[in-house]
Amino acid sequence: MSQAPPRTVLEIDQLCVKFGGLVAISSMSFHVDHGEIVSLIGPNGAGKTTAFNAITGYLQPSSGEARFLDKSLNGLKPNQIAELGVVRTFQKTSLFGGNTAFENIMIALHRQGRQELFGSLLRLPNMHAEERRLRDRADEILEFFGIAARRDELASAMPYGEQRLLEVAIGLATEPEVLLLDEPASGMNPTETMSFVRMVERIREQDITILLVEHDMRMVMGVSDRVVVLNQGEIIASGPPSEIKHDPEVVRAYLGTSAPHA
Amino acid sequence: MTSPGTNRLAMGRFAPFAVLAFFALLPFWMTDQYFLHVLIITGIFIIAAISLNLLLGYTGQLSLGHVAFFGIGSYASALMSIGFDLNVFGWMLVVTPKPVWFCILCGIFVAGLAGWLIGKVSFKIRGAYFVIVTISFAEVMRLVALNWIDLTEGPMALNNIPPLTLWLPFAGETTFWSKVPNYFLVLSIAAICFEIVRRIVVSRVGRAVIALRENEPLAMSVGIDVTRYLLIITVISAAMAGAAGGLYSHYVRIIDPDVFLFIFTVTMVIMVVVGGKGTLWGPIVGGLLFGIMPEALREFAAPEVQWIIYGVAMIIVLIFLPQGIVPAVGSWLQSRRHGSEPPATPEPPGAKGAADPS
Repeated sequence: MSQAPPRTVLEIDQLCVKFGGLVAISSMSFHVDHGEIVSLIGPNGAGKTTAFNAITGYLQPSSGEARFLDKSLNGLKPNQIAELGVVRTFQKTSLFGGNTAFENIMIALHRQGRQELFGSLLRLPNMHAEERRLRDRADEILEFFGIAARRDELASAMPYGEQRLLEVAIGLATEPEVLLLDEPASGMNPTETMSFVRMVERIREQDITILLVEHDMRMVMGVSDRVVVLNQGEIIASGPPSEIKHDPEVVRAYLGTSAPHA
Repeated sequence: MTSPGTNRLAMGRFAPFAVLAFFALLPFWMTDQYFLHVLIITGIFIIAAISLNLLLGYTGQLSLGHVAFFGIGSYASALMSIGFDLNVFGWMLVVTPKPVWFCILCGIFVAGLAGWLIGKVSFKIRGAYFVIVTISFAEVMRLVALNWIDLTEGPMALNNIPPLTLWLPFAGETTFWSKVPNYFLVLSIAAICFEIVRRIVVSRVGRAVIALRENEPLAMSVGIDVTRYLLIITVISAAMAGAAGGLYSHYVRIIDPDVFLFIFTVTMVIMVVVGGKGTLWGPIVGGLLFGIMPEALREFAAPEVQWIIYGVAMIIVLIFLPQGIVPAVGSWLQSRRHGSEPPATPEPPGAKGAADPS
C-alpha cells in the first residue's frame, strides 16, 4: 500500500438527491483518504443515511457522483459496488436472522469464494479446500469480534449488542477497502460503546478506511480523524473533531437557532 | 443451513440412506400393484415438490405456476417420443420418434429453458410480481395445450405415449411396462433430486439465495448478485419439475391439458408448506402424507368426505405447526436430547404436538 501521500479512496462530488420536490441532499462534496476514519454527523433528517444509500447504490443520485479510486459509482448496483470494495452496514439492525452467527459470516464471505453451481454439484476437490478455508476464516472473524461463543446461535436470538457486532463482522468479512458504518453503536450501552470504539480502531489497523454515521458524540469525537457535519442536506462544517466541537454553526444546528453563541 | 447444531448434521448423514433403503426394499414385500401405483404417482409429485421447495423454501420466491414447468416437461417429452410435424412459417419441421430417455432429457431441457425465460422477465421486480407472472404463465400454457390442436391434440389428449426403454446391466434392453421398474426409476430420480438440492443448499450458491430469502438489502451489501443466483436456482427448479413431468407422461402414457391445472400447483405448495419449507425432508414428508392420505381414506369415506378430511388435516397441521412438520419434529428431538434445557431455536407454538404426526 502507498505509504507517503494520503490517497483519496472515496470522493463525493456535488452529490445531490431529490425525492420529488424535496431536496434530501443538495450538492454535497467531501472526500475520505486511505486509512482515515471520517464521521458524518448531523441532526435527525439531515440526510446522512440518504448519503449512504446514494453512495452504495441503494438509490440513484439526482446529480453529482460518488467515486471510488476515481471510478464512478453512479449506475452501479449495490452488489457491484460491494464487489469493488465499498461495503456498508445498515442503521436498523440488519442480519440474516434465520441463520446462525457462523452462517451469517459464511454468507458474508461470498466474495472470498469462487465456487459456482457445477463445482458444488460435482463436489470438485477444490470445493472442499475452499469451504474449509472459508469456515476457518469465519471462525477467525467471530473470534476477532469476541462473539465466537455465539457461533451456533440464531442471529435473531443473540443479545442486541452482539447483534450489532455481528453486523460489523459481516461487513468486515467482505474484506472491504472502505467500510461505511451507519449508526453501529445506536442502542448500545456506554460500556458496549467503549469496547466498540476499540473495535473500530482495530478494524482501521487492518488497513480499512471507515466512513461512520453516528449520533454518540463521545464515540465520534474519540474515534474520528475528521468530522463532516450535515444539516438539512448541506455540509455546514468539516474538520478535525477538536475544531468541530467549537464551530458556532455546528452548535447552532444541534441546539437550535436560539442558542446563545455570541 | 437452516438446522443449527452439529448433532443434527450427524444424524442427517445416515437418514437419507436409511430412507432410501426402506423404499428400495418396499416392492419386495409390498406386492399390491395398486399401492405401488399410488407410490409412483406420489413419488412423481414428491420430485415436483422437491423442485418447488428449492425455489419457495430456499430463495423465498413463491412460484404459483410451478405446474407449468411440470406440464412443459411432460408435453415436450411425450411429443418427442411420439414424433410430430409442425408447420413453422411455411417450413415443415418433422420430428421422428426418439428414444424415451432422450425425450425425458429434452423435457428437462425445455422446462429449464422456460424457467430461465420466466426468471429473466420477472426477477427485475420480485415478490408478488413473480407470483402473478407464474400463475399467468401456467394458465397460458394450459390454453396453448388446449387450443394448439395440430401439435397437442388439444382436449383429445396425447395418447399411446411409449414407456421408457433402457439398457440395464444384467437385464439388457428393458421396457418399463410394469410397476416395479417404474417405481425404481421414480425412486432413483427422486433420490438424485434430493441430493442435488442437498448439495446446492450447503454450497456458496445456496448460501447466496438463502441470504436473499433472509435479507435482500444485506445480501446485496455483501456483494451477492442476487438476481443472477435466483435465476440459476429457478432454472434448476424448473428443470427438476420438467423431469417429474417427463416421468409422469411416460408412466401414465396419456396426457391432456389438465396437467397444467392450478390444483396441481396447489398440491405441490401444500406438500412443501405442510412438510416444512426450506428443509430437505419437508417435501418428502409432506408429499408422502398428501400423496397417500387420499388413497388411504378412499376405503372409509365418500369422495366429498375425503376432501374435507384432507383440507381439515392441512389446516390443523398449519395451525399447530406453522413451520411445517419437519422443523417441528426437529426442534422436538433437539429439546428431548437436551433434556430440560430449552431448545436453541425458537419453538413454534404448539410444537409439542410434533410427536403425533410422525
